[in-house]
Amino acid sequence: MRQSNIGWLFLAPATLILFVVGFLPFIYILYVGFFDWNTNAVDPTLRWAGLQNYRSLVFDTTFLNSLARTLVFAFFVVISELLLGYILARALMADRLWGRQFFRTIHTLPIVVAPIAVGATWRLLCVPGFGIVPYYLKLWFGIDYNISTNAYHAFGTAIIMDLWHWTPFVTLSLMAGLTALPKEPLEQAQIDGGNKLQIFWYVIVPMLKPVLLTTVFIRLMDALRSVDEIWMLTKGGPAEATRFIGLHIWINVFPKTDYGYGAAMSLLTLYVTIVLSWLLFVAMTGRKGGAQ
Amino acid sequence: MNSFVKAVGVGFISLGLWSSTALAQDSWWKTAAQPYQGATIRGISESTPASKYVEQVLGPKFTEETGIKVEFEATSWDQMYDKAIKDMEANTGIYDFVYIEQDIVYTYLARNFLVDITKSLADNTKIASPDFKPENFTTFLNYFKDPKSGNVMGVPMEAFIKPYLYRKDLFDDPAIQKAYKDSTGADLKPATTHEEYTQIAKFFTEYGADKELWGTTVQASSSHPAAFYEFFESVAPTFGVYNWGIDGTTFAATEANGGQMNSAAAKKALNYWVGLLQYAPPESTSSTWDEVAGTFAAGRAAQGLVYGENAAWIAADESKSTVVGKVGVALPPVEAGVMEAAEAGKGYIGYYDGGAFGIPHSSKNKDASLLFLQYIGQASVQTDWALAGSRIVMNSTYDDPKIVEQDKKMNGYYTLMREDGKLFAGAPPYPFHSQVLQVVAPFIYKAIIGEIKPDDALDQAATAAEAELVKLGYRK
Repeated sequence: MRQSNIGWLFLAPATLILFVVGFLPFIYILYVGFFDWNTNAVDPTLRWAGLQNYRSLVFDTTFLNSLARTLVFAFFVVISELLLGYILARALMADRLWGRQFFRTIHTLPIVVAPIAVGATWRLLCVPGFGIVPYYLKLWFGIDYNISTNAYHAFGTAIIMDLWHWTPFVTLSLMAGLTALPKEPLEQAQIDGGNKLQIFWYVIVPMLKPVLLTTVFIRLMDALRSVDEIWMLTKGGPAEATRFIGLHIWINVFPKTDYGYGAAMSLLTLYVTIVLSWLLFVAMTGRKGGAQ
Repeated sequence: MNSFVKAVGVGFISLGLWSSTALAQDSWWKTAAQPYQGATIRGISESTPASKYVEQVLGPKFTEETGIKVEFEATSWDQMYDKAIKDMEANTGIYDFVYIEQDIVYTYLARNFLVDITKSLADNTKIASPDFKPENFTTFLNYFKDPKSGNVMGVPMEAFIKPYLYRKDLFDDPAIQKAYKDSTGADLKPATTHEEYTQIAKFFTEYGADKELWGTTVQASSSHPAAFYEFFESVAPTFGVYNWGIDGTTFAATEANGGQMNSAAAKKALNYWVGLLQYAPPESTSSTWDEVAGTFAAGRAAQGLVYGENAAWIAADESKSTVVGKVGVALPPVEAGVMEAAEAGKGYIGYYDGGAFGIPHSSKNKDASLLFLQYIGQASVQTDWALAGSRIVMNSTYDDPKIVEQDKKMNGYYTLMREDGKLFAGAPPYPFHSQVLQVVAPFIYKAIIGEIKPDDALDQAATAAEAELVKLGYRK
């Protein structure tokens, strides 16, 4: 009993901080989401709206498009980063690779760069008229690459930028996981005559699942709330081609000061994120309930 | 001998008078600032040449004279608003003075963010400087007065018009003039109509195909409000569409309800403006006001509408501009009848931009900030500030010999501003500025990239603007 109390005592500071910076704002947003509140309205006070904000969201094509765009973006970046990260992790673990140590060091550098700096750098690289990317794409391949007029170019560049920034994180995580794998099951599979693909799919992937799950969750949640990099690169454009949900919420809450509607958007997005994460968790672990 | 003694005597008396006056001048700021010695005031502004002068020159000079430290943050336009508004909304008091752009002042006044400067100085005469005289300012000050009381709520720090800049060297080149005449049958001169402007843009784009030269700048970022501003505040008025096409009484935007946002004139304006993109350099669809100035300064465009805050450095600063001495300045081209309407005070032909510094109610150093705002509002600091930032907020500044000299280098920009400034106007007095902007701008972006036709863009924008105004409670 006494031991239990001491445990709670140690947990108390963290719990208190979480309560203040996590739970209280959540309750506040939940509360505000039931009101029509815009400080620039004729009546700038909170006016009870019930579920009207949520009802409006269901018919708000800009919001729904933004959410769908974000999910597509997250799907592409998470899958690509997993594949690339795994390939790089295996390559960096191979003894035969020349310059392995050097590459291992420099390939992690993007992780330490602030997202806003990453966005600014990529913008300088890609800005039409001056950037070296459009210049050489035109010179070498005759491609008129323009992230401020072509929605596909902008969306693709946002994905590539995210890959550049976060693949090293996935690589490092998978390297840690692969290094920690016991050798015996792999040797056993080889003795049993399993080919490389079979060993990968039936032995490595199941053993790597905890690491994969953690990595996917971290990257998925990061991708779903991308704001600063995208803001610097395209400001959500051209038009709304890269206006991901985080950016859309920000525009509604701050420049537009539509706090009630913005709060509802935030909560609905949180709900979608939780559901998506749960589905992913179930799909990857085969569990249908009772998380352990 | 007698005359020598007299001369020495007069000399000493003059010296005495001069030094006592100088001491009195110094001592007023020192005396007034005595209770605030060691205080630090923090300000935030958009990073413009005029703001940088405050940061690098006026702030340190004020500190030297008063002992009050000035921390000044010159940042991007978006960041400035984000930080300043959050600070004032949350009442945190991080900033003691903030930049108030002319177009946002109505929002700030409606939300009661700002300290009444006139009243504060009347209530505390000890800090009312004899050198701060609101009557010295140009009529631009009126934008920063409370419409009810007429009291000053912000001290103007920059004011410009958005003129039509053109490459004088190209327009005056006999070979180019001949080529233009051969090509179009007309004489090459600064455009006064939109047809002429388009024709010139087309000609220079063809002429400059192998010279990295295009016919015009277009401030058409496909994801930044700068595009909205160029269209609604600089282009649409030249077609006779004012105040963003929103009726200031009924708050109607659609033509069906009495607005002008999707009127035939507005549609003609948007088609014209979007059509110019084919004659503009590739960076135009990602250009805000800064990039437009950069494009012109790099010699990549023959003409364009460029914010006046950049006029001085484009025309005179060789370290930044490749077109020094080659810049001409004129009034923007207009549709028939628009100039006459503007001259009669029934319309305007472009944007009169600028801003002031105001003190938020949340400031914890209001008196020290009042001193600073008066310090930058003295006539004596205006000339050098104008030289650095091509901004003029006081009538007397125009007549200063240094400004007259700079005006020559700028091909008469200041003269144009002084004589024809009345033809330009600031943003409409809408407290819902940002809300309508955020709703309408995406349609302009879509028209820029060709996702929808300009006519459809304005139809949808007008409907969306009205819906937003209903939601905000302005339109019944």
